[in-house]
Amino acid sequence: MKNIHPEFAKGHKPQVFDDPALDQLHGAWLTLATELSVAFERIDTLERLLENRLSVTRSEIENFEPDAVASLQRTERRLDIAHRLLRPFREFREAKITHASRTNTNQEK
Amino acid sequence: MLKFLSHAMLPTVNHDEQSRQDFVSAFRSHLSSEVMPGVYKVFKSRVEPFFHAKNGRLPANEQEVRKAMTVDPFYQFWSAMQRRSQEMLWEAVIDPTERQLPDLIKQAISKENIGSKKTMRSKRIGTLQLDPTLNIPRYHTAVDIHLQPGGYHTDFTAHDVAAGAIYDKGINLYMGGALGPENNLMGDILIAYLREKYPKFKPNKILDMGCAIGNSTLIWGRAFNNAKVHGIDVGAPVLRYAHARAAALGVPIHFSQENAEHTNFALGSFDLIVSHIVLHETSRSALPRILGECHRLLRPGGLMLHLEIPRGKTLMEQFMHNWESFNNNETFARYMTHIDLQIEAIKGGFVKKFITVDEWFPDMDVGKMNYADNFFWKILAAERE
Repeated sequence: MKNIHPEFAKGHKPQVFDDPALDQLHGAWLTLATELSVAFERIDTLERLLENRLSVTRSEIENFEPDAVASLQRTERRLDIAHRLLRPFREFREAKITHASRTNTNQEK
Repeated sequence: MLKFLSHAMLPTVNHDEQSRQDFVSAFRSHLSSEVMPGVYKVFKSRVEPFFHAKNGRLPANEQEVRKAMTVDPFYQFWSAMQRRSQEMLWEAVIDPTERQLPDLIKQAISKENIGSKKTMRSKRIGTLQLDPTLNIPRYHTAVDIHLQPGGYHTDFTAHDVAAGAIYDKGINLYMGGALGPENNLMGDILIAYLREKYPKFKPNKILDMGCAIGNSTLIWGRAFNNAKVHGIDVGAPVLRYAHARAAALGVPIHFSQENAEHTNFALGSFDLIVSHIVLHETSRSALPRILGECHRLLRPGGLMLHLEIPRGKTLMEQFMHNWESFNNNETFARYMTHIDLQIEAIKGGFVKKFITVDEWFPDMDVGKMNYADNFFWKILAAERE
């Protein structure tokens, strides 16, 4: 029954960057980021379950339900990964905006 | 935000599947709150001034904005992320769905109640009528709408319900939970509109067009629990899921596989016809036919209400809303930017003085939308003369 759905949606795949390799790389690192977040959460689950004892079962991991505090901490961790990952792009955007507003001011003069 | 409600037809997730879905959701929320507004900033501070310097005027239409924006590196980056996050959203939902599909199908079959409209059971859990001979319109088969692999209409196995299960959790993630615990927001909005604008209107027979998994249909069924509520769609797997989901949630709805352009219902069958962000997924030729079918199906004095997504006021907002058209397989959506829904309703047979096209800010938390700061809904309302 596994993988009965097509891997790719039918329809035009837009190319965003001049070099299609860049489109592919951006796609790939976002997948990597997701898997990193998944791994972090598995570690977090293990740490929470093991805090007061020596062993843990697989079913405890699979059925682990974070409480409200833990849920919030995990949400913050996910947003933090997104924020850290996108730092280079943020920096680039800010630099462009600053540069553009300087150029515009000069033109107005 | 309220937790998404679990029910018998919703696939469960293991530890890592849950984490994957949570990250996609968090990443999309980060994109819309932290990255997307930067695209507007880049336009104002750089792209527009550059265009002005080069042409001695501002962009005159959405196409000129598109041409200028699609070469901007920051826009390119946001667009690549937005697209990939959409693909990943489906990936994160398809895995658990496929793993549990045989069980989900068993569940659905146990709730199936085909062609026995008059039994006590059907009054309690509704009915499902499929039509294997129905031609699926090209606006479904040409591309997979919203990049959902296989779309809403493809059966990959006998009695398939996967497209419905994938859609149910998928739209919850797409809107970061803003659609509510039962993906109920669209139904809530249109019901709130009806109650505000037509407080005395009490429908006995309601039709929801393009109902997909019946998430909004069910809300109408609850709000008017004495009314007979029908939901139609062209997709068999979403309808099987819709029927089983409504039965699991205890609301009797009558689902049937039909094309909203030409249904099998008799003239004047309904008091009220509704649709929830469906029209922009159809086509230029289908749109007036659907509205014409509404006119045929409504009794005199009956009402149709179609909820739509506005397509932006400024050229930049139009460009951003129509990102979905070029990048998320909403092929027809961009044409809606310049279509006058009042004229389309007149083409369908409605009388001008009974047609309203409203921009509506409902008095409820609609959550944060992806492409605009000030979001409102567009509603096409018309009474049958």
